[in-house]
Amino acid sequence: MTTSSLEAVVDPQLIQQWIAQIGSDSSAAVPLLQAIQTEYGYVPRKAMDLVIQYSDINASQLFGVVTFYAQFRLRPVGRNRIKVCHGTACHVKGADRLNTALRQALDITDPEADTSRNGSYTMEDVACIGCCSLAPVMVIGDDVFPNLKGADSQRSLKKHAKSHNETLLGLEKAKPEKTESAPVENDEGSPE
Amino acid sequence: MSGEGLIVTVGEGTCGIAAGAREVFSLLQKKLPQAVFRTVGCAGMCHQEVMVEIGDETSGTTHLYGLVDKKNIPQIVAFHTADGELPAEMLIRSSDQPGLEKGKYLARQTRIALRNVGQLNPTSIEQYKARTGYQALEKIIKGGMTPDDVIKEVEVAGLRGRGGAGFPTHAKWRFARNAPGDLKYLICNGDEGDPGAFMDRSLLEGDPHSVLEGMLIAAYAIGAAKGYAYIRAEYPLAVINFNKAIKDARAAGYLGENILGSDFSFDVKVKEGAGAFVCGEETALLASIEGLRGMPRIRPPFPAIKGLFGKPTIINNVETLSNLAWIILNGGPAYSSIGTSDSKGTKVFALAGAIARGGLVEIPMGMSVRELLMEIGGGSSSEHPLKAVQLGGPSGGCIPESLFDTPIEYAAINATGAIMGSGGMVVMDTKSCMVDIARYFLEFTQRESCGKCTFCRIGNIRLREILTRICEGKGEMEDLDTLEELSNSVKDASLCGLGQTSPNPVLTTLRYFRDEYLAHVCDKKCPAGVCKGLIQHTIDQSQCTGCSICQRYCPVNCITGETKKPETWVIDTTVCINCGMCAEVCAPKALVVQ
Repeated sequence: MTTSSLEAVVDPQLIQQWIAQIGSDSSAAVPLLQAIQTEYGYVPRKAMDLVIQYSDINASQLFGVVTFYAQFRLRPVGRNRIKVCHGTACHVKGADRLNTALRQALDITDPEADTSRNGSYTMEDVACIGCCSLAPVMVIGDDVFPNLKGADSQRSLKKHAKSHNETLLGLEKAKPEKTESAPVENDEGSPE
Repeated sequence: MSGEGLIVTVGEGTCGIAAGAREVFSLLQKKLPQAVFRTVGCAGMCHQEVMVEIGDETSGTTHLYGLVDKKNIPQIVAFHTADGELPAEMLIRSSDQPGLEKGKYLARQTRIALRNVGQLNPTSIEQYKARTGYQALEKIIKGGMTPDDVIKEVEVAGLRGRGGAGFPTHAKWRFARNAPGDLKYLICNGDEGDPGAFMDRSLLEGDPHSVLEGMLIAAYAIGAAKGYAYIRAEYPLAVINFNKAIKDARAAGYLGENILGSDFSFDVKVKEGAGAFVCGEETALLASIEGLRGMPRIRPPFPAIKGLFGKPTIINNVETLSNLAWIILNGGPAYSSIGTSDSKGTKVFALAGAIARGGLVEIPMGMSVRELLMEIGGGSSSEHPLKAVQLGGPSGGCIPESLFDTPIEYAAINATGAIMGSGGMVVMDTKSCMVDIARYFLEFTQRESCGKCTFCRIGNIRLREILTRICEGKGEMEDLDTLEELSNSVKDASLCGLGQTSPNPVLTTLRYFRDEYLAHVCDKKCPAGVCKGLIQHTIDQSQCTGCSICQRYCPVNCITGETKKPETWVIDTTVCINCGMCAEVCAPKALVVQ
């Protein structure tokens, strides 16, 4: 894993600024962590140390909270994030296959890993995002992609990668056969 | 081709945007530069997104179209600006042709909570006011209604909490009203965690002012001066629109100090949830706002007496709140005249899964499950018949097809072993495996268990393990008895609603679909062809065209053959993981599941 290069450099001034804005008492714990995660994409250990240092929140509370809520992650993220919805409707309609297809395209083989080796994309399974009638869905960045089959998800990802200058490791190495025109029904797959 | 005199309305909820509403909007704008454009929230017909309504001021007609995309926009434009033909297959509702089949989806509903969703621009307080917005608040404050009058009106209406448990709203309010203390809190619970339910998202996104007005009415009734709207972080558009509503309402004098010149003061702050299903539980939600781990605590004391920061607190669900302004304006009797003796008014359901017309529906209580699924939902979305509906999310249960005549009211639904819950309905056809569904929900609740109670923390893991074993074809007969016994223990020995209800999906599927469990355990077969350990993909060479697409999508490279030679294609079953990618991409359907 080369994701260590994705570690964020934490700016102590920013942390102080957020504490001044949001608050320094224990009820500020969640919003502070949310601000940190919005900035860095995850909650760096260094940022938590600074919160403990500058606010009235103690270490046990902060670590308790950060590990309790599914929203927070402690590992660095790739440059782009893919959220695959695993709500009931998406599950029934085959959301698992999106994971298979996307992991294949990103060449993520270690079952514990969620980020491609070149740091391009991080995959997350999320609980329902509330688009159940359009299941299965995934979100890349802020764009929601509806009614996906496994193959569609690869194509949407390919499009996204192209427009963001990212390389998809899993599609690089493989299979020199004909490239385009997968015969899937929903030809209009992605918005944008 | 200018579009003069046309009013074009595009639905831009999260689902509309996902289906490409923004692209449709800008394309239409280019083609109809003279038309007036409006955006509205989601109308709840998710299966028809993107939806566009075109009103013609000259002829006085309106046409609502569904499934609009860049390919069929020219047809719509041609019809409204030139001599083009009516694009009839896209038409949902038209002032010229009442009673269209697709329009039944809307016509059969009674919309109270959803009265404005899809009808107005959620970011415009003016449009909300034009649809009787904030008149209920004015009626209370200027018309001299006392807090007790308000509580009485809601009591007459018979409104019960729409978040799941169905506790009478007025009773809860009265506890808080009578509780001593100067500072009281009113919280809007928008932490809609049930996978499969999205009515709260739709309301917060599509009609935030009606939720806010509901909060004001509730706050007035209990005497609260401060409020929080606890909204899931997974709903970014809801957070944006609700914050906008707060800002506009404050500027208009409906929120803040001395509202409408009275001595009633109330203000609201948005708190974004951080992704914990258990925070739908009241005391866990309070802990979360206080900045702690979202763990429930023992009740009593109830939050109405001792809640947020130790002060009396009322937590009302989004849908409950959005009914309140209507009840105040139209009176309690008008609301209670809808529904049954047990359950008054309407309820919003989110239809998803194997249903032809999925989306949000609001129906009068008492309608049968069958009528809702078949008449409004249009039945199965595939060639396979419907088998069951999961009601109430992970806390609910499956209602089998044989019980589809059950009326939708609290008591009758509870009698089936399911619960009304927040109203998520995931519909399953015969291609869904009920054991897999039970396993899916258990995996969810086990992950979301906060870990406080031993039976919920460990019992749910054991349940999940047994179900996984059965799905892998390693189950034994005694597992079924263990499942039942342990389920009852988890229900009995858990503190909050999560643990008390988490075994419901197991118990209801065992009760109604025992034959499927037996097929998994005794015959080692998954009748629906879902459970990976019990199925095998093979290639039917008589159907195969040798196109090699399956090979390209196979993640484990277990398919081999020569291009254009169907007789050479085989799957190495020792390597195959039965992920189903090949079957999905195979156009001639040559991949068979056994």
